[in-house]
Amino acid sequence: MAEHLLALRAAVMRRERVSHSTLHFFAYAFIALCLVFAAIAMATGDVFFFRLATEALIFGGLALAVDILLGYTGLLSLGQALFFGYGAYVSGLVLKEIEPSFWTAMGIVLVTATAFGAIAGIIAIRARGVYFALITFGLAQVVSKIVFNTRELGASDGIIGIPVIKTDFLLFQVDTGHAPSFFLLVLSIIVGLYFLVAYVMGTPFGRTLVAIRANESRVPFLGFHPWRYKLAAFILAANVAALSGALYPMLRGFVSPELMFFQVSGNAVIMVIIGGVGTLIGPLYGAAILTGLKSVIGTFTEHHLIVIGMLFVLSVIFFPKGLVGHARPRIERILAARGRES
Amino acid sequence: MISTDPPILSVRDLSVRFGALVAVNAVSFDAMRGHITSVIGPNGAGKSTLFNLISGAIRPSSGRVVFEGQDVTGAPPYRMLAAGLSRSFQITNLFFELSVYENLRLAAQFLEGATRALKPVSRSRLAQERVERLIEQFRLQHQAHELAGYLSHGEQRRLEIAVALACRPRVLLLDEPTQGMSHADTAETEEMIKSLAGELSILLIEHDVDLVMNLSDHVVVMHQGAKLAEGPPAEVRANPAVQAAYFGDAHHA
Ligand SMILES: Nc1ncnc2c1ncn2[C@@H]1O[C@H](COP(=O)(O)OP(=O)(O)OP(=O)(O)O)[C@@H](O)[C@H]1O
Ligand SMILES: [Mg+2]
Repeated sequence: MAEHLLALRAAVMRRERVSHSTLHFFAYAFIALCLVFAAIAMATGDVFFFRLATEALIFGGLALAVDILLGYTGLLSLGQALFFGYGAYVSGLVLKEIEPSFWTAMGIVLVTATAFGAIAGIIAIRARGVYFALITFGLAQVVSKIVFNTRELGASDGIIGIPVIKTDFLLFQVDTGHAPSFFLLVLSIIVGLYFLVAYVMGTPFGRTLVAIRANESRVPFLGFHPWRYKLAAFILAANVAALSGALYPMLRGFVSPELMFFQVSGNAVIMVIIGGVGTLIGPLYGAAILTGLKSVIGTFTEHHLIVIGMLFVLSVIFFPKGLVGHARPRIERILAARGRES
Repeated sequence: MISTDPPILSVRDLSVRFGALVAVNAVSFDAMRGHITSVIGPNGAGKSTLFNLISGAIRPSSGRVVFEGQDVTGAPPYRMLAAGLSRSFQITNLFFELSVYENLRLAAQFLEGATRALKPVSRSRLAQERVERLIEQFRLQHQAHELAGYLSHGEQRRLEIAVALACRPRVLLLDEPTQGMSHADTAETEEMIKSLAGELSILLIEHDVDLVMNLSDHVVVMHQGAKLAEGPPAEVRANPAVQAAYFGDAHHA
């Protein structure tokens, strides 16, 4: 084989390794930060911040779902909370009415969210660009209003009194009422979802999504039917959102129609943008930042939305690629230099 | 070159109308296996629209397309590609925000088939080797990591052909591949097309008359949507109707 081709192959592999390890660097850093936080909170015995951090992770899962669509497929979902709320309601109902079991709740959410995601996806992906955004927004709006007015679902109160559950994992037991262990459980699930999605994005399926975002019109001429790929991405994102949502009633003991409101969908998009669109791990950082800011600023002023809105505008102006998007080239350079040394 | 093989591609009475305009009007011709079949005609004659019909980009109003004995009329592009027919575009149609390498790997991804759906593309040897071969063939080594949008026009036109070729088609439709290329690039592309024919059957749209006459086994002339003439290059060139409709214009253009 010609020497320049060998050089090319080596260069391609080096680049891929560096970009791969850079994103995983952010993932490991995120896990490390979470564990440091857990150790501090445990030492101070603070339950409030544990609950808040768990909530941030749960909303991080929703933001991850938004990034699958926005960052990879080029579809802006303004109604992702629909699936998040769906997962929360189904999980809450299962835990309260059927069986207080973690696995039953997650299993039923996974199966039914796939079907629900497929139906909603078939409606939504007919449209492109701003019309897709409007349809997702509209679907979430319609469903949340229906839930809001359905007495059987608790109407505006939602479902309360969802029991605390204990779940056996192979080696240990997790009690959702025990803040530190539930935090660690949610951390494992959300980070697990991240690694799963990151893997999927490296397969032919994921690369085809990237191709669709870059130039959908050429994709059919490479042998792929964009509609199928967009639908599959939509279902994947619906599942990630619903599984994250399913954790919510385990944390709070209740669900309410607000979980499906635009506020929640909009916040998820903001998390993705401040964390870094198309990075997958960025949305988790974004969720931590936004949830943290809201809580901190909320203790000083009632008008925390104004402050957060201004911070968002500033971050978009100064860090248009988001936190991870901004820091990535720097980390890549460091890792590439280290790769050359060794 | 007398061949008794059945044609690899047959077009029969193919028509499409856009409102009042009949952009392609009852066109029929055969393309033989391993040959270069060129489609020429003045601007707006309907050449690209004919390619759109064959490649499944648009559906015909009437008529048939037969590929390797199968009726594929109205089949969508991804079916045509799976059947073995690929195309390039007159207006460069690439993934501009992705690297040259990634453009080619996306195009070569089809080779792996559905069985490898769970394997990361970075570990696909088949795609890797195909991409390397194309990068060498189209002299894009120094641009491999460049974003396609940052390439020069000539480089983009080369990549356009390479992307169409990546899936190892049996029939390749090239819509003005040398459009806007330098003389050197045009000459090189001409050589490339010549070397590809044989194993590959090529349908070529070209404005460069000399190039068409040098390369083609068979020439189809279109004018205002309809087929004006067809035959071997020399015969077509000598046809008075063709000269009036096309060569007359082309020399002034
Ligand atoms: N999708 C479409 N809708 C309406 N009209 C169309 C469409 N596509 C092509 N046309 C029209 O059909 C006619 C043929 O166009 P076509 O692009 O096939 O010509 P061409 O022979 O490829 O010309 P050129 O040499 O300039 O590329 C033109 O009048 C064009 O405006
Ligand atoms: Mg044309």
